[in-house]
Amino acid sequence: MIYVLPTLWAVVTFVFFIIRMVPGGPAMAVLGSYATAESIRELEKQMGLDKPLLVQYGNFLKDLCRGDLGKSMITKRPVSSEIAKALPYTIDLTIAGMLIGIVLGVPIGIMTALKRNRAPDYIGRILSLVGISMPEFYLGILLMYVLAIKFDLFPVLGGGNMSNLGSRLHHLVLPALTLGIIMTAFISRMVRSSMLNVLKEDYVRTAKAKGLKERVVIYKHALRNALIPTVTVIGLYASILMGGSVLTEIIYSRPGLGKMMVFAVKDRDYIALQSVIIIFSAFVFLINLLTDLFYSLIDPRIEYH
Amino acid sequence: MVALISVGIGFLTPAFAQEKVVREALKASDIRSLDPHYGTTTIDLACITPMFNALVRFKPADINPEKIEPDLAERWERSKDGLVWTFYLRKGVKFHKGYGELTSEDVKFSLEKAANKATSGFAGDYTALGKVEAIDKYTVQLTFKTTIPSVLGILADYHGGYIVSKKAAEERGDKFKFDPIGTGPFMLKEYVPKEKVVLVKNPDFFRGKPLLDRVEFWFMPDASSREMAFRKGEIDLVEGEREQSWVKKMREIPGTAIEIFGPGETLVLHFNMSKKPLDDIRVRRAICHAINIKELMAFLGPDVTEPLVSVIPKSYLGGTDKVPTYEFNPEKAKKLLAEAGYAKGLELSMVITEMSDYRRPMEQVQEQLRRVGINLKMDVITHTAFHEQIRKDVNPLVLYVAARFPVADTFLTHFFHSKSIVGTPTAITNFSHYNKVDDLIEKARSELDLTKQKDLWAEAQKKILEDAAALPLCTTKFVFSRKVFVDLGYEMRSTLVLSPPIAWTTDIKKK
Repeated sequence: MIYVLPTLWAVVTFVFFIIRMVPGGPAMAVLGSYATAESIRELEKQMGLDKPLLVQYGNFLKDLCRGDLGKSMITKRPVSSEIAKALPYTIDLTIAGMLIGIVLGVPIGIMTALKRNRAPDYIGRILSLVGISMPEFYLGILLMYVLAIKFDLFPVLGGGNMSNLGSRLHHLVLPALTLGIIMTAFISRMVRSSMLNVLKEDYVRTAKAKGLKERVVIYKHALRNALIPTVTVIGLYASILMGGSVLTEIIYSRPGLGKMMVFAVKDRDYIALQSVIIIFSAFVFLINLLTDLFYSLIDPRIEYH
Repeated sequence: MVALISVGIGFLTPAFAQEKVVREALKASDIRSLDPHYGTTTIDLACITPMFNALVRFKPADINPEKIEPDLAERWERSKDGLVWTFYLRKGVKFHKGYGELTSEDVKFSLEKAANKATSGFAGDYTALGKVEAIDKYTVQLTFKTTIPSVLGILADYHGGYIVSKKAAEERGDKFKFDPIGTGPFMLKEYVPKEKVVLVKNPDFFRGKPLLDRVEFWFMPDASSREMAFRKGEIDLVEGEREQSWVKKMREIPGTAIEIFGPGETLVLHFNMSKKPLDDIRVRRAICHAINIKELMAFLGPDVTEPLVSVIPKSYLGGTDKVPTYEFNPEKAKKLLAEAGYAKGLELSMVITEMSDYRRPMEQVQEQLRRVGINLKMDVITHTAFHEQIRKDVNPLVLYVAARFPVADTFLTHFFHSKSIVGTPTAITNFSHYNKVDDLIEKARSELDLTKQKDLWAEAQKKILEDAAALPLCTTKFVFSRKVFVDLGYEMRSTLVLSPPIAWTTDIKKK
């Protein structure tokens, strides 16, 4: 925990300077290609970009310490309110993607481990390899084509009405499946290999020798131990999943954080980009923290001091 | 999975079945501004146009400045010297959402706002505007410091010409950018950042009650997603890719009409004459002869391209095709290169944007130049970075894709006047560093006789081509797909809005 703040500071500092080193600026984005050099300079002055970089950095840190993320350079609206609007779409997507991954990935992993080198194992391994190899944008378009156009089951447009649960879920299904299928592939492979390792252990053999039922041996003795590396992987991929939401949100036109980040990069909206990166980083820390806490639930021998 | 599918089935019935709604998808991640004095992107213009009016307007779907007609002004008078213009406003025009009647104070406020660098992105277009006076409630007088080629052009329904509500703009300040008030047939209902803009009909619109109830503009940067949404019927009007394959594919969808319209964007190759080796006219001419424009147009698609003879399209006011041309002749190109001391070939490096509208034609040019021994190295960078880099003079060649106000003066001033040379304080987009037609541009600007004015513009274009300061390649037209039940209410020919404008006459025919 004590590393959270210094790491966050390092991330935002890196982003602050790197984005300003990249050619292009927000003034050009606002004024368009018709703008004269004079009017671009004028707007840069209004945006405070004429000040020395270290002064800009100092102001940024000062505002950040006060909890003020600043105003978007393009829209002039408080970034915090833009993030507040976008965040639920990304959280919905990440959680749903992760749930699909866990709900499908863990049983598939167990099944393929138990049926090692038999037909279900081969099928599961091939499918998981396909899932891992398939880019999100391709899978997204494919799902859209089959489930939205051919079978007309789901909409392809937008994130739905956030105040209407039905509409929200209806619009969430396809993007969540896109991320969830990829997550399933990762998790099932991880569970399979962890289970194969654990099934060879003495305590599993002992449990079987004691005459315990197969189900008890698998779920109580084997799976519980296999879950520790799996949870690590789930935590890791949950962070990657948030990154994956960028492409998925673009494909399905969801107004989430990923889409906001792409727009901020494209328009060099320094303030919005810094803020989105802070939020993404904070989520990665939160997921890591939850993962650590989860270890002690799975294995009571793990204690934190 | 079963639960997920049942969620899908539960929502099959389309909402808003009773409403007349048009949903349009554009290649964008978001809007930048709904304040018309800042809106430049296609999505901004698409949303702004149905919300605002100007003193005068282009005829629907016709960008000919000679056919500009009354809009908020019923009529106007011009002084003999062309410097004083008096406009008489329509009475009873209402601003949206109870912001009152349009008066001369709103017009004065709007034009002064458009001319102010601090409140407008188009202030440069109004440098000749001296003062705006509200003579009485319905009369406005504009006094210009010098004559300009198209006074009506800068007052028309495009960019800075739009009239906003003074009260709303003052009340809302920065918020006006995303909550604007105009007099147009549609008014803003909702803006969902990164998703859509929703407009609803303005029942008080002065030309009549709009036929549609609602218009939605969706931000969809991904071409495949736009296509899927159109195929599924969730989108009725979609911005396409300016590629033959896209046109062909969309034509095959039943119930689809393809709109290919002008004025399109000019593709012009600007030669940086301030640096070696392009300071040598023989090298520039060699490049001109090495480029096979027919092949380029065939590559980009015959449906989406049109020939461009001069640096200004012939259909624009002051455009001409009586200029020197460079026929495709690789042997001549090689000979010119040899004369210039590059018999063994030449290496050039440049940056190009990742945007396909620029990158694809430039890759074709790169291949054509390779055939005559010019090795053009291209670094692909982001579009924003590209715009910054070309203004820093890093490129020997700049491919610039442009749509501008359809009067020769705009193109000539932006691209070929010495004041617009990149790197100078007044820089706009003169990438060639060309400075030999300033007198012609300025003379034409103050010439009141249209025939003489056109002659001066033609002479300037002739000189630019003689000096091979730039090479016109072609124009690419705008491409949209429309569901046939969407009746635009006019015949789509050309528009400065860059997308088919949603008018008060736009309607949904029986599906």
